[in-house]
Amino acid sequence: MSKLRLTLSLATASLWYRRRVLAMVCLTLTLSVTLLLGIQYLRTEVRQSFTSTISGTDLIVGARSGQLNLLLYTVFHIGNATNNIRWSSFKHIEDDPRVNWAVPISLGDSYQGYRVVGTNGRFLERFQHGNDQPLKLAQGQWFSQLFDITLGAEVARQLQHQLGDQIVLSHGGGRTSFSNHADLPFRVSGILQATGTPIDQAVYISLEAMEAMHVGWESGVAIPGRTLSASSAEARSFTPDAITAILLGLKNPIMTFQLQRELSQFPGEPLSAILPGVALSELWRMMGQFEQVLLGISVFVVATSLIGLIAVLLTIQSQRHREVAILRAVGTPPSLIAGLYSLECVLLALASCSFSLFIGAALIASLSPWLLTHYGIHIGLRALNPDEWLLLSMVPVVAFAVSLAPAWHHWRKSRTLSFGNNNPN
Amino acid sequence: MNIETAQPPSGSLAIQTRQLRFRWPKQQAPLMFPDIQLHRGEHLFLRGASGTGKSTLLSLLAGMMLPETGAVNLLETNLSTLKGGARDRFRADHMGVIFQQFNLVPYLSALANVTLPCRLSTRRRNQTQGNPETAATALLQQLSIPDALWHRPVTEMSIGQQQRVAAARALIGSPEIILADEPTSALDTDNRDRFIELLLTLAHEHRCSVVFVSHDQSLANHFHHQRSLGGES
Repeated sequence: MSKLRLTLSLATASLWYRRRVLAMVCLTLTLSVTLLLGIQYLRTEVRQSFTSTISGTDLIVGARSGQLNLLLYTVFHIGNATNNIRWSSFKHIEDDPRVNWAVPISLGDSYQGYRVVGTNGRFLERFQHGNDQPLKLAQGQWFSQLFDITLGAEVARQLQHQLGDQIVLSHGGGRTSFSNHADLPFRVSGILQATGTPIDQAVYISLEAMEAMHVGWESGVAIPGRTLSASSAEARSFTPDAITAILLGLKNPIMTFQLQRELSQFPGEPLSAILPGVALSELWRMMGQFEQVLLGISVFVVATSLIGLIAVLLTIQSQRHREVAILRAVGTPPSLIAGLYSLECVLLALASCSFSLFIGAALIASLSPWLLTHYGIHIGLRALNPDEWLLLSMVPVVAFAVSLAPAWHHWRKSRTLSFGNNNPN
Repeated sequence: MNIETAQPPSGSLAIQTRQLRFRWPKQQAPLMFPDIQLHRGEHLFLRGASGTGKSTLLSLLAGMMLPETGAVNLLETNLSTLKGGARDRFRADHMGVIFQQFNLVPYLSALANVTLPCRLSTRRRNQTQGNPETAATALLQQLSIPDALWHRPVTEMSIGQQQRVAAARALIGSPEIILADEPTSALDTDNRDRFIELLLTLAHEHRCSVVFVSHDQSLANHFHHQRSLGGES
């Protein structure tokens, strides 16, 4: 025990004595460990955020297609539906006794490249993300009038919209459109709080407004004289003929697979029903290759830094020849001298890990609100999970492993040291 | 064979060597050393030109190397019968060493350098009545090291001060044997004489046997015995 204390005190004194040289090594190692830990942390956060893009929804129903396609266009607003669902089918499904709630979604139009989602008030009530977090309005209220529109947080931020702004939607998708619903402008009634999900990058109108906009657009372009004015549209009532998808919440989640199977064999029209959690996990697995590559790169960065550390220690070791000779002459065993080298390496690695934790926490705490506001990315400060602790603890373990080379070299050499080794000539 | 220069104290044998021979790797001719018998408290001056094996003999006496033939008996222990670790412990328990230069661990303070042997040897620590710091400060005071330097890095000290700190380290815990390898070669004449007087006085107080290696014959009269290496008279 006293030998260990002696080794520890010699190692700390030695590191402090060489602090100027070793500070650069420690800095390099700290940055690389921060990178490694940061990537692992972001992987966890992004995966968590991604797989929680939608929660509380048991099934997503759309026209017959693959589950990833259905997930992409309903949740991520990427791509288009292969077909629509008849309104009568929606009503039939909504009336199913196993269904607790059903939210219709109608897609197709866009606003400055952002997807327009036609839905109803239940979307605000039922849609959840993250750990069953409901949608909340940052300003104003959910659409209530026919030509009210509610904006996602990112849309409002990017296009600098305020409550009461008049905006004109475009027919079809895409950032640039030459077919605009200029006759029926919408008024911004509310802006949603940022969620860090695709919800932030869409605008929300009522299904009735979606129908009203498309009166006279049956051929894909506005037919003069057949479109409606705002006042005439408000005087009418609209019932959609078709919608794009349905979000379903069941009374008893145990019935999910049964209902999914029945909907896949729906007699009225060909439908597909997917479990969003399963589809999200599958999508993440496909994209997960990139995060593995990133993690691999950061492991190489740390390995390079550790090799740099060993290179510096080997360089310093020629300067330590006399110090080792003194220690040996006063009776220090070769094992303690070898242990001194390994301990110095491990202490440097531990210092780098501590600095990395501090830097990482400071970066996340300071940048988190900015990332959410400006990029809609939600990265919260939390305790490290076991995987991350394991990764971090591997750094001193690997440092110890790579230190064995110079330690063994010193152990072997110090056994043959003699009085002549300390002479200046 | 021994040339008497001072009155030796009587006592048991501290060092006894017989027919020592050592050959460095890739060296044709072996180094042959004269037999030595040194009693407890006696001081031996070893003289020899460069290349006569002065430092090699000290390494053999310290147990850092083993002879090709012959035996080294220290305090009635044959070093050749001890394994490497045991020889290290024996050195830590019973020997103090002083080098020609670069005697101190650069990242330790003067006080920490002096107490280092007590951290490696329980025996040496016990010899200080369990308080190495007190013993170290007493030695540093006796060796005229200003107390302002005790906790300072040793790199801030002069060569003479560093050699005196090394002497304090060799003396702490009253080891039976002190091996000094040309410790005065980097000192001027005044400092050299003062250093030897201090070292030998304190060694006498602690009843240490001293083996002092130098090529400077003028120092020989400070010692009880002197020997020449390399066939010189």
